[in-house]
Amino acid sequence: MTAAAIGLGIALAATGCAGGGDGSSGGEGTLTLWTNAMEGRGAEYWRSAAEEYHSLHPDVTIEIQSVQNEDLDGKLQNALNSDSAPDIFLQRGGGKMQAMVDAGQIRALDLTDTDRANVGDAALEGVSIDGKVYAMPLDTQPEGIYYSKDLFEKAGIASPPTTMDELEDAVAKLKAIDVAPIAVGAKDAWPAAHWYYNFALRECSREVMQEAAKSLEFDDPCWIKAGEDLESLLEVDPFQKGFLTASSQQGAGSSAGMLANHKAAMELMGNWNPGVIADLTPDKKPLPDLGWFPFPAVPGGQGDPTAIMGGAGGYSLSKNAPKEALDFLRFVVTKDQQEAYAGAFDTIPVNKDAQGVVTESYNISALRAFNKAAYSMQFLDTVYGQNVGNAMNIAVVNLMAGKGSAADIVKDVKAAAEKG
Amino acid sequence: MSNTLGTDTAAGRRPQGAPRAGDADTATSPAPPRAAAHRRGRTRTRLEIAALSAPAIITFLAFVIFPVALAAYYGFYQWKGYGDPTDWVGLNNYRLILTDPAFHDVLWHNGLILVLSLLIQGPLAIALALLLNQRIRGRSTIRVLIFVPYIVSEVIVGTGWSLMLQSNGAVNDLLHRIGLGSLEADWIADPDLAIWTLMAIITWKYIGFAVILMLAGLQSIPDEIFEAAQIDGASYWQIQRRITLPLLGPTIRIWAFLSIIGSLQLFDLVYIIWGQYVSGTAGTSTMAIHMLAQGRNAGNYGYGSAVAVVMFLISLVVALLYQRFVLRRDLRGAVTEGTV
Repeated sequence: MTAAAIGLGIALAATGCAGGGDGSSGGEGTLTLWTNAMEGRGAEYWRSAAEEYHSLHPDVTIEIQSVQNEDLDGKLQNALNSDSAPDIFLQRGGGKMQAMVDAGQIRALDLTDTDRANVGDAALEGVSIDGKVYAMPLDTQPEGIYYSKDLFEKAGIASPPTTMDELEDAVAKLKAIDVAPIAVGAKDAWPAAHWYYNFALRECSREVMQEAAKSLEFDDPCWIKAGEDLESLLEVDPFQKGFLTASSQQGAGSSAGMLANHKAAMELMGNWNPGVIADLTPDKKPLPDLGWFPFPAVPGGQGDPTAIMGGAGGYSLSKNAPKEALDFLRFVVTKDQQEAYAGAFDTIPVNKDAQGVVTESYNISALRAFNKAAYSMQFLDTVYGQNVGNAMNIAVVNLMAGKGSAADIVKDVKAAAEKG
Repeated sequence: MSNTLGTDTAAGRRPQGAPRAGDADTATSPAPPRAAAHRRGRTRTRLEIAALSAPAIITFLAFVIFPVALAAYYGFYQWKGYGDPTDWVGLNNYRLILTDPAFHDVLWHNGLILVLSLLIQGPLAIALALLLNQRIRGRSTIRVLIFVPYIVSEVIVGTGWSLMLQSNGAVNDLLHRIGLGSLEADWIADPDLAIWTLMAIITWKYIGFAVILMLAGLQSIPDEIFEAAQIDGASYWQIQRRITLPLLGPTIRIWAFLSIIGSLQLFDLVYIIWGQYVSGTAGTSTMAIHMLAQGRNAGNYGYGSAVAVVMFLISLVVALLYQRFVLRRDLRGAVTEGTV
């Protein structure tokens, strides 16, 4: 009995340690912030934002802690559960944010009209639950197809494809010049699944997609139709050889790496991709001929052809975060900060006043498509929660490996809904 | 488990029935002295045992028993991992596991890996051990080459092989260069090949350990027995079949036990090479991968914990049955000798 109690103590201490360091209410006037920006300009941005805030408010110091992207969620989960959460942290949104709200672990943000104007209603809608805002978005994340302008020119493709037929035509032309037409990092599952998400965006109406987030029933025929669209795309064999075991962001053999080294011509991705590609080019500089076009139209779909798939996350406050933490989040969505953020992350800032700093052609194309879009829809694995989302991602990989059908995606997703 | 294994291995190195001198048990029980001193000695011995084993016992409780108990507890909940679990679902997670085609898949993969490991590695290891037990040129070099993969960590082995076996990797390139381009394949990604790729890597990785065990077993067989057989006119194959294999029996049974448990718990190689997502598609996912995929990636911590419990129970049952039926003879030898 005593031994068990000692064991319990040790285990608790161990989990406490894993939760990580100084808790929220440690030193007065010291805030902790966890981000996934590890190094380079991104991490630099957060350090300088913290310093600038400190110079405006000398009594508040902000400690930035960088946590590796894939490690962040687990570490954060431990910290939230053991009450040693950081005050401010990167929020992925969707089902994860919902789970944090359900567990009472994060704070609703009390925003002023100025804050709302800075961020914009569309972006705030993506991080709201029951009318309350739970995260401060910093960028817009329109998804589309990044491509190499040079390779397109070499293959004789006059303009970016706007329909599936044109896309398939481009695939044939790119094969003729011996490059992989489209790269996809299916080892990570989600990059492959994004092809299905975008077909679903074109096939399903907005209402059907939103309703599914609540009911988690996927009975509308559009869900199967989306899988069939992917199957018919697979018939022209558009992806690189061995895509099933390719990762998306690590090394020259990854999908982003292939684009960075002109081994592949296209990749479907969110707006973080230019930064990832830049790290993987031979000289570690942004790819000069990188372009962007929206996901092509699918004939006869119920979804608006201009609709865009995109992420919605931001930064959240843990439940015990002091009011200065909210003030810091207000600070980072002001115009100057947003301009610096956009520059550091090669991205499109959420604050419209700061969007003048967007100069790269791929970002301009993406921004135009975003502003023209009838609506934007969050990544499905986020909207439908980790559990269903994960099952959907794996089912799509199965389909792409020839081990499952469009109907299996719906079946697997429903089976997963039962577990969660 | 490891305690019994230790004694078994020791037993395996000796021919059956050979006497064992100066056993540990006789050493700890003192020779009959005066009664008081005897009692004082015993109390002291007990205190020493307690003091010396306490750290190990506490660590074991904290990092093995406690997590197992915790997993059993979480297994009764539907839990997303944020906050304390509140949704009690009773045995529902276990019902889902039993009816989950994905779990049937991983169970099948584990079973296949288990059987194939025994069938491939066992005969191969015995053959290699027989070969290396003879005086041949370069014997120690060959031994080192066979054993080296075993001491390299799974992460390095997995990363290395996955790079070499990619569709544009070194293996295909080599095949192409030596004119066997028609044999190029998608070694990892192709669902028809993946399990065999995995078996090849597992064999390469773990055969060294099996060979070393078998060699130790072989070297404990007294030469006189072979000499006697030779004088009696037994052929080489007769000697191997009638003498070597039976006397190697305890070693083979212990190796098989380790191989079975290893197959049931296989995780790292698959995780490194295929990742948690594609292993299911490629047909190489295992129970441990399923546990992680459901627990951490899908955020079904209750279901994932229940998978962990099922895995624990399967391993436990297999271990107990194996000890009860296969190792019975070897264990009896080990236990009785000490107490005689």
